Amino acid sequence: MVKEIEVEPVTRLEGHGGLRVVLGDDGTVKDVQFNIQSTRFFEKFVEGRYCEHVPRITPRICGICPIPHHLTPTKAVEDAWGVQIPTPAYKLRQLLINAKQYSSHVIHFYALAAPDFLLGPFADPALRNVVHVINKMPDVGAMALKMMDFGQKLCAAVGGKAVHPISAIVGGMKKPLDEDVRDKFLKVIDEQIEFTKKTVDIALKVVEDYWDVVANVGVVPTYYVGLTKNGVHDIYDGDIRIVSPTGEKFDYKPQNYLEALGEHIPKHSYATHMYYKPAGYPEGIYRANTLAMINCADKMATPLADDALKAMREKIGTNVIHHTFAYHWARIIEMVESIEMIATLLKDPDIVNPDCKTLDVEPREGNGVGVTEAPRGLLLYNIWSDAEGICKKLNLLVATNHNIAGIEKSLMHSAKQVFEDKALDGLKLPDPWIK
Amino acid sequence: MISIPVKVAFWQNSDCWGCHQSLIDLHLALLPVLPALEIVYWPAVVDFKYNSLEAREDGEIVVGFIEGSLRTKQDVEGTKLMRQKCAIIVAFGSCSCYGNVHGLANQWDIQELIDRKFSQVESIADESGGEPTEHVPGFESKIVPVDRVIKVDAYMSGCPPKSQQIYSAIGFLLGQKPFPMNDLAFCNDCALNQSGCLLDAGKLCFGPITSIGCSLKCPNNGSPCLGCMGPAKTVGVRAEKLNSMTKDLGAISSGDKKSIFEFLPLFLNLPLMAGFDLAGDILKQIKKHGAPETQLANLPPTTEEIASNLMSFLRDNPDFHEISNVCDTCPRIIGSKSTMTRVKRDYEGIPNMEDCLLEQGYICMGPVTQAGCGALCIKVNAPCTGCYGQTKWGVNQAERFADTVLKGFNISLSKEELLSQVKDPIGTFEKFTLASRKGGA
Repeated sequence: MVKEIEVEPVTRLEGHGGLRVVLGDDGTVKDVQFNIQSTRFFEKFVEGRYCEHVPRITPRICGICPIPHHLTPTKAVEDAWGVQIPTPAYKLRQLLINAKQYSSHVIHFYALAAPDFLLGPFADPALRNVVHVINKMPDVGAMALKMMDFGQKLCAAVGGKAVHPISAIVGGMKKPLDEDVRDKFLKVIDEQIEFTKKTVDIALKVVEDYWDVVANVGVVPTYYVGLTKNGVHDIYDGDIRIVSPTGEKFDYKPQNYLEALGEHIPKHSYATHMYYKPAGYPEGIYRANTLAMINCADKMATPLADDALKAMREKIGTNVIHHTFAYHWARIIEMVESIEMIATLLKDPDIVNPDCKTLDVEPREGNGVGVTEAPRGLLLYNIWSDAEGICKKLNLLVATNHNIAGIEKSLMHSAKQVFEDKALDGLKLPDPWIK
Repeated sequence: MISIPVKVAFWQNSDCWGCHQSLIDLHLALLPVLPALEIVYWPAVVDFKYNSLEAREDGEIVVGFIEGSLRTKQDVEGTKLMRQKCAIIVAFGSCSCYGNVHGLANQWDIQELIDRKFSQVESIADESGGEPTEHVPGFESKIVPVDRVIKVDAYMSGCPPKSQQIYSAIGFLLGQKPFPMNDLAFCNDCALNQSGCLLDAGKLCFGPITSIGCSLKCPNNGSPCLGCMGPAKTVGVRAEKLNSMTKDLGAISSGDKKSIFEFLPLFLNLPLMAGFDLAGDILKQIKKHGAPETQLANLPPTTEEIASNLMSFLRDNPDFHEISNVCDTCPRIIGSKSTMTRVKRDYEGIPNMEDCLLEQGYICMGPVTQAGCGALCIKVNAPCTGCYGQTKWGVNQAERFADTVLKGFNISLSKEELLSQVKDPIGTFEKFTLASRKGGA
């Protein structure tokens, strides 16, 4: 008899997803589906809007990562209209996107992922959540909340609002950071760096505890996609980089994305599947997000993060890393980079420089591409403008698209490990930190 | 906060999660709140599955927050399930209240939307394409606000609602106790019953219809009863006097007006959503439904009559208390040294931080947008785009905007000039609320 295992909905996920595993009567895995059950058609309903208003609409795609969804379409319109932004605006945007990266990675690690590790995979589902973690580990909980608070407050200070920012405009930024506000963040930045170091220690302990899982479950060779600038890890600007399962690297200018990124429309998900076009579908399925970024980067942009990257490569491998559970480790490395970037930028006088918007902005007909790295993966906007600057068309490749096919592939791999190879039976699991 | 945790559920329709992020952004302020909540459903944070929500008793969950727009058939189904399981439903955020930007999709037929996304986009690189149909819910043809599908008890607009606003709402809902509905009215205990009665002196006091049982702080300080203990089973002797006063409210004092606005939400158990926008919440319900719908039943006839007198008064005097708009909380000067001589696009120039953005030439929706945000966008030099929803419904929003701003602002354009210079009227004037428009887009 065919048996279908259904997880409805997949929890601790920001979107809407269901999971299906179909087992044959011999116990083999016949099919795995990750069903994304909602989409809202932003691609269509921005048609007819002023191009400069698109970045005020699209942040609503993601409440956790509205900042990349504000900055990326702004960059796309600037590309379409041939607008150059002043250096202070560039740095303010870097500060804004790193503040988001920091708060999002903290929320992901502590609120979405940590309950699995701190309570263990067999804990009571009613307790396996961040609320329980806060109750049982109040010191760690308070630290995590202070880190999120710092990140979100910095997003609000630079972006105007933390959720659905408004301060970027085609041509730069509406306003620099006020000096007294900047000073408040500078006062607590050292404490935040300490918190980040403590988080690294917690994460490394988790990796050690769960090493058997990290090393043996969900090790799935795929392609990877990420953003690098001259090979260096960058989340605001750069070229699209593809890494093959054997570690070859291919770079593409954002404007040439259609040469690299192909979209496949599955029958069972509203989030479409992306793949590396020259390799075809499904062979070219890639993964995005933190591990992909780490696989793409020759090095990190800041010293502590680069040391952390070296430590990870020493432990797992210097070539491309396929360990799905290493996503968490990669996220910690990116967290370190973001707080170092924030510290450097806060000390840069350009972020309080009022010369952060060019007057040289004129709509023109054409299409432009903007790319950033959102906390969950590559984000790309291709916007078509008419001569009056009205948006005629939008193609939108969001982190979810880039991840779904890869997630499904690793789910299939893990399902086979679980149901066919009974690979979980012999795994060494630690005593949960929270019982 | 109370000691026994209150059951709450968070439901997500097609959304961005931003309202939840705004709630979580309370961070350390959440710590005292969390023990007061028993979260029985919140897929983004806790591991309960859909079938656990289905298994709940009807009405068992005290407060249900519904976030997101009704884009899919699953959204509509889940929303109805929440109504069944929750005693109080809060439309949480502008998606739920008005449809939000997703409502802009109502300009097209659903098939055109599907075709663009699943068949036409430039990056489709193989033979695949067409609407996915396997284990996915299917789409609603048009987006509508949640209250067109189920009854909504409280509205909390904003994209997202401010963290502090959510905090105040949760605090109110958790602190909400069932009314005692004692037999006798407040007047029986009141120190001013024999001499010095405020009603006898012509001031509005709701003692005759309010339950006894409080500490009598108000009359002891010479202030009227505002009804916070809720209705009594019987009415006091001066109930008819109060009744006749509420039938003729034309010339009441400003103190009495304030009393009405404080009394209604307390007495009718209407949640305090944003503090300063209390009256707005009542007015919205009255405008939409004719009368606010309350949890109360079996009121004494005089009590019911008095409450309905007050409702009718508000309904028939829409200018009695205008809903506050964003300008009320905006620090910029209206009647500044600047004057709009043509409509500017947002990318043009650099506005100064002092003068009203409209008077500097930019379309700012502040004058026709409900207060609640604290003018956050305007404070970083970005015009308001209206995410908290309109101050007036059921009208042509473009015309309403022009009529409003041409009255009170330095604008040297005619109505026709102003409107003709806006090339995207739907995206400008109804970005967040198109789905609320009567008769559709």
